[in-house]
Amino acid sequence: MTYRYILFLLISFFLLAENAYAQQSTLSGVVTDSRSGEELVGVNLFVEETASGTTTNLEGRYELTLNPGTYNLRITYIGYRTKNVQITIESDIKARDFQMVADRVDLDQVVVVGFGTRSRRDVTGSISSISGEEIQNTPVNTVESAIQGRIAGIAIQRETGKLGGASQVRIRGGSSVTGSNQPLYVVDGIPITMDDLSINASATNPLSDLNQNDIESIEILKDASAAAIYGSRASNGVILITTKRGREGRTQFNYSFQAGFSEPTNKREFLNTAEFFELYEEAARNRAIDDGEDPQVWIDILYDEINFLSAGEFRQNSETGEWFWRDGVIDTNWENEAFQNAGMFKHELSARGGSDKTRFFLSGAYSDETGILINNDFERISGRANIDQDVSDRLRIGMNLSTNRSVMNRLSSDNAFATPMQLVAQPPITPIRDPRTCFDENEEPIPGCTPQLSGDFTEYYNGLLHRDFSSFETTIFRTIGSAYADFNILPELALRTEYSADILTQNEEQYYGALTARGVGGNDGEGLGVSRWVRVQNWQTQTYGTYQNTFDDVHNVEIVGGFSAQRVTDSRSLVEGRGFPNDSFRRIASAAEILAGSSSGSEYSFVSVYSRANYAFDERYLLSISGRVDGSSRFGIDNRYGFFPAGSVGWIISDEGFMDDVNFVDFLKIRASYGLTGNAEIGNFASRGLFGGTSYGGFPGINPTQSPNPDLRWEQTSQFDIGLDFNVLGNRVRVETDYYVRNTRDLLLNVNVPATTGFTTQLRNVGQLENRGFEFTINTINIEGDFQWTSNFNFSTNKNKLTDLDGQVITGGFVNRAIEGQPIGVFFTREYAGVDPENGRALYFLNQGDNPRDTTVNPNDAAEVVVGDPNPDFTGGFSNNFSFRGFDLNVLLQFVSGNDIYTASGRFMSANAWFFDNQTRDQLNRWREPGDVTDVPRPTLFRANGTAPSSRYIVDGSYIRLKNVTLAYNLPRSFLNQYGVERMRIYTTGINLLTFTGYDGWDPEVNTDFLAGNIGLGNEFYSAPQARTFTFGIDIGF
Amino acid sequence: MIMNYKKITSAVFGFLLLIMLVSCDALLDTDPQQSISEEEALTTPGNVRAALIGAYSLHRASTQYGGRYMFLPDLLADDGDVNWTGTFFQPREVFDKTISPDNSFTQSVWTGSYNTINRANNVLDALDVLDAAESVRVEGEALFLRGLAHFELVRVFGRAYNDGDPTQNPGVPIVTAPTRGIGDDAQIPRATVEQVYQQVISDLEDARDQLPATNGIFATTYAASGMLARVHLMRGDYENAAIEANRVIESERFSLMPSFEEAFNQETSPVEHIYATRVTVQDGAHEMRLYYASSDFGGRADIDILDQHLERYEDGDERADFFYSGGGALRTQKWSTFTNIPIIRLSEMYLIRAESNLREGSSLGDSPINDLNRVRNRAGLDDFDDDLSLQVILDERRVELAFEGHLLHDKKRNGESVGSIPFDANQLVYPIPLRELEVNPNLEPNPGYGQ
Repeated sequence: MTYRYILFLLISFFLLAENAYAQQSTLSGVVTDSRSGEELVGVNLFVEETASGTTTNLEGRYELTLNPGTYNLRITYIGYRTKNVQITIESDIKARDFQMVADRVDLDQVVVVGFGTRSRRDVTGSISSISGEEIQNTPVNTVESAIQGRIAGIAIQRETGKLGGASQVRIRGGSSVTGSNQPLYVVDGIPITMDDLSINASATNPLSDLNQNDIESIEILKDASAAAIYGSRASNGVILITTKRGREGRTQFNYSFQAGFSEPTNKREFLNTAEFFELYEEAARNRAIDDGEDPQVWIDILYDEINFLSAGEFRQNSETGEWFWRDGVIDTNWENEAFQNAGMFKHELSARGGSDKTRFFLSGAYSDETGILINNDFERISGRANIDQDVSDRLRIGMNLSTNRSVMNRLSSDNAFATPMQLVAQPPITPIRDPRTCFDENEEPIPGCTPQLSGDFTEYYNGLLHRDFSSFETTIFRTIGSAYADFNILPELALRTEYSADILTQNEEQYYGALTARGVGGNDGEGLGVSRWVRVQNWQTQTYGTYQNTFDDVHNVEIVGGFSAQRVTDSRSLVEGRGFPNDSFRRIASAAEILAGSSSGSEYSFVSVYSRANYAFDERYLLSISGRVDGSSRFGIDNRYGFFPAGSVGWIISDEGFMDDVNFVDFLKIRASYGLTGNAEIGNFASRGLFGGTSYGGFPGINPTQSPNPDLRWEQTSQFDIGLDFNVLGNRVRVETDYYVRNTRDLLLNVNVPATTGFTTQLRNVGQLENRGFEFTINTINIEGDFQWTSNFNFSTNKNKLTDLDGQVITGGFVNRAIEGQPIGVFFTREYAGVDPENGRALYFLNQGDNPRDTTVNPNDAAEVVVGDPNPDFTGGFSNNFSFRGFDLNVLLQFVSGNDIYTASGRFMSANAWFFDNQTRDQLNRWREPGDVTDVPRPTLFRANGTAPSSRYIVDGSYIRLKNVTLAYNLPRSFLNQYGVERMRIYTTGINLLTFTGYDGWDPEVNTDFLAGNIGLGNEFYSAPQARTFTFGIDIGF
Repeated sequence: MIMNYKKITSAVFGFLLLIMLVSCDALLDTDPQQSISEEEALTTPGNVRAALIGAYSLHRASTQYGGRYMFLPDLLADDGDVNWTGTFFQPREVFDKTISPDNSFTQSVWTGSYNTINRANNVLDALDVLDAAESVRVEGEALFLRGLAHFELVRVFGRAYNDGDPTQNPGVPIVTAPTRGIGDDAQIPRATVEQVYQQVISDLEDARDQLPATNGIFATTYAASGMLARVHLMRGDYENAAIEANRVIESERFSLMPSFEEAFNQETSPVEHIYATRVTVQDGAHEMRLYYASSDFGGRADIDILDQHLERYEDGDERADFFYSGGGALRTQKWSTFTNIPIIRLSEMYLIRAESNLREGSSLGDSPINDLNRVRNRAGLDDFDDDLSLQVILDERRVELAFEGHLLHDKKRNGESVGSIPFDANQLVYPIPLRELEVNPNLEPNPGYGQ
């Protein structure tokens, strides 16, 4: 050691001596963020050979004076990966810019925790972070879609491919059967409104009101120790979203533009006209054989219907008697009709900067997106102003304000005939535009008439009528704002007080023209309009103090304590009218008859005190304890206040003396936590015995609506977490692992009660469930240097088990159940035993009696059993970043494995020609004659054969998806500066490019919107596939 | 110094805690805006009256007289007069005579009816709030609603009265007290068919005796009598059936409309209706129209009328013309508007009196032939000029009361099979809902439905 040091000094001396005669050169340039291109202020550059260095100034510029030669330059910056570059200087002046790669798992990185920040090194709970830059410009319109596959322990699933639709987000599995399983979202300290406010069963997504490019960082608090400071709302984990703030320095403007197009990830194959005839004629003949009738009887029934569906009565050859529809002239691909050309574009302008007293971040964005489904689009204008002002050394005040307007044309839920995907049920023999729309009352053709979409001649309601004669416009105004004051009472003691509001106003204007009568209840062929307003006001105030000090150099103490109060009021009104003069009049003012009008309101409040103490001894032994008392108007009168404590310990083993010799380990920390959190998403007045209003014949009435339960309280989750973090090989390999056990008790269950009481369910705290799982994240730097390759691989398992449901069986979805001893939402139905090769009858396993493995043709004789599980065994993602000079490439693979999907629409579209729903092509593989071995039973028209709910319709939903590929090029600064531009990045991004799956439906990322819930998992029902999106974009900084 | 910090911090937190204590409870006090508490719900006469309306509002719901009491039994009893072509699999299961124990439609008949019963029981429990005169009428109405619900339940969830021994066959649970908290005592077993019928008769007879002759859109003494006539008919107690039917007819408050057409689709109930549920766009339910009518009339066109049905009409029968084409098939005009649903029509009373008199060999009120002819003449048919047999009256019921929910019950009480399915087949009785069996171990499932 000493020897090498002396040698180094000697060599340096000689070098310096020699260079004293050489001319000195200047190395200068700008250091920027590799993704955003923003200049970085205060970056350290250190020349190892000369042991000299410098830092970048407010413009991100540095200058080093060196003699010609070759140097090793080390560039370091907090929150960024250290860069080692070899540089050779020959000429007088050398310009060299550097791009730094952000590194959220850097040990010195500051992570946001509830009511404060901590360095990643000292964190003892389980917190995952993702930087805003990592998801910047991802062409999805909700932030949770952008982080899908990037973080261990959080499973995110979009329900369907509808724009602006909901996602299911589960941190470490679902902790509730009846209450919400969505995490608490806290944006800049405000628990934001996350309620689904949709008028129909297709949920809205309140996160779509956030512009994800405003986000600085996202922190996911997963274990009790991290989350318990959010008390009774933390059981499902907490997602902290921090938006960008101003920075001292030159004002940096950024303009970005992005445009692209989308298409469905997948289309299915349905029968064409020729195949349709083949299958249905066979089905009709089989039916006749079964009934002992002349086959012609049933062929006639079939042809009658087909005549009707295909306008065939006008298409019979008068001489031969042949039906034209047999020639395949009408061969409609209805599936294609459900989709449209989809595209998007987005403009965004932001400014970020400030003086030493005032700092600001301003942004404005406009985006317009057309969905892959007809009648579905999404337009958003958003703006943000985050301002901080240092009033004095002690006092800082500031505000955050974001305002947003979203306008969406939304769709019916998957269960409605009007939803575009249900168009696939129409047989291919039905023309899109029916010639009969051009016949007068006497069935004589009207000269010069162009056939129209038909409402009456289709098998089911023609959803295309919705496209042309209806509108469902949802407008959301959302303002989230807060004002704060930070006061440093003492150097060690700071007090922060905040007042904040999240005001959401949603207006849904629906209009259904007269022609949509068949698809819209209550329309009556006169036109129907519905206007609805919802306003949610969410007010919060909080004050907390932070005390931090180090005693005797080794005892580091941080204490946070405060209180908060929150009140949320929700008011809604609705009016519905019928009878519109024509489709130009779409507001209720023009309705002839008011069908319904209503207004309603609700509210809830929380009052809380909380505290946390962190203690570190010698920067090695870490301890954290926290607690929160929550009172809520939602809780039963006998259980108003709940206490939620948590504690955690950490030990940085790598700092111990005995680790000095273990050179390959750069960092090693073991941590453990235990704590209690709650779930208060139980409804606002669930504990009370209530009578609600009703009416009959215009007379007002009341009726019992809820049986009282004064003991009702929050659900409680106790969570144990043990984690190990280590860095090896010069910090090039960094691993984080966690194992957790979460036990939820006092589970709120809508317990089924005998309906003879007049009630069908009552909310009670009865059950228990458990989630246990393992999370593994590895970040590696595979290749360093000019060409850099880094990877992130994350992998999570979660095993959910309902340990106690008080003997209850709770149903949801189509055939989902909550059953003791099983994961939540298992598929509970008959077990399909395939097709009897002798006669083509569908068979089911009895699963009861003395010979449970015997089969039966009668589905009612077959017992229902657990035949599938919609919960995945494991999920994860694998992200690779490659960068070379100005290019960078990010490739994200996302995977889900071991989950089943119940394809309920198969009961109609893969039903071996039961009814006239067009069938998927796999139905051609039906049983035809004795000896045929197939899974598709013998088709018999109008007679169920294998279409009862059963495991026939359960399919493995595992998939690996190429989720995101982004290729970007940052133009050289030297080139750009000629044009007064600081930076320019051009990029192209593809979303959902490839999907590898054995699932035979549209898209394995699915859960039909109208049944999605805690138990309703893994269901498909004419659910739209996800969008595959390609975009091109440009970011310009000046 | 450390002491100093501590003082300051404790002062700050003490202050915060004080704010908390002062403001907590006020902040946590919120009340629902669309509901009132159970304790105050039934303490005033106005609220008790409103609670009675609440019971009606469910009694007229789609799960009950808004449709499912009528069209589901008609589908179950059909053997070729109609075809269910709709997409809802629950009615299709009923039509196919393969009802699953978890069929949500038949289940809703159970849950909905008991909800009505609980609402009626809530009213019956709070009568002392009312003055004496009003209390009598309100009690009558609540008993009427409770009796009807039990009657409709036992007819579909229990075996027919004439199928085996009604004093042994399980009927449905009888509930006569309001629910206050839900404990194990809520697990009520099935009473026998006979016990349920006795409860129904007791409720309806009390209702008959307490209800006024006119009562707006609500139950009257004649509505109770009309329903009692039906109840007695189901039990084969023809003497009492005739007495109750006769009481309605003799009241002379009701008369047949001049034409069959005028008996249906009227904005207000015509004089032929002894009892009807009021259907308005604001608070109505009309699943009869929903499933029978074509899209032109706001329905789903799910029930096609087939030729076999039309063959039941004599030449010249105006009722045979009471159909229209829509959605690719023939549809009945009985249910083509969103207007009041007749539950008891006067023609049914004539036919019950005729049938009962014929069976008993009596002529209470009038002779069977005269009663029959009243119904025939109104339909544009001449007097019946052949030997009057029971079958003639039953055939008349079939066409006069078609699609009004009588088919299954008529077939069962007369021992008629449904196609090849005998009247006492297991599959012609609804399964006890699976959810109910799961939460009430004291319930006995119906044979033929697993378990």
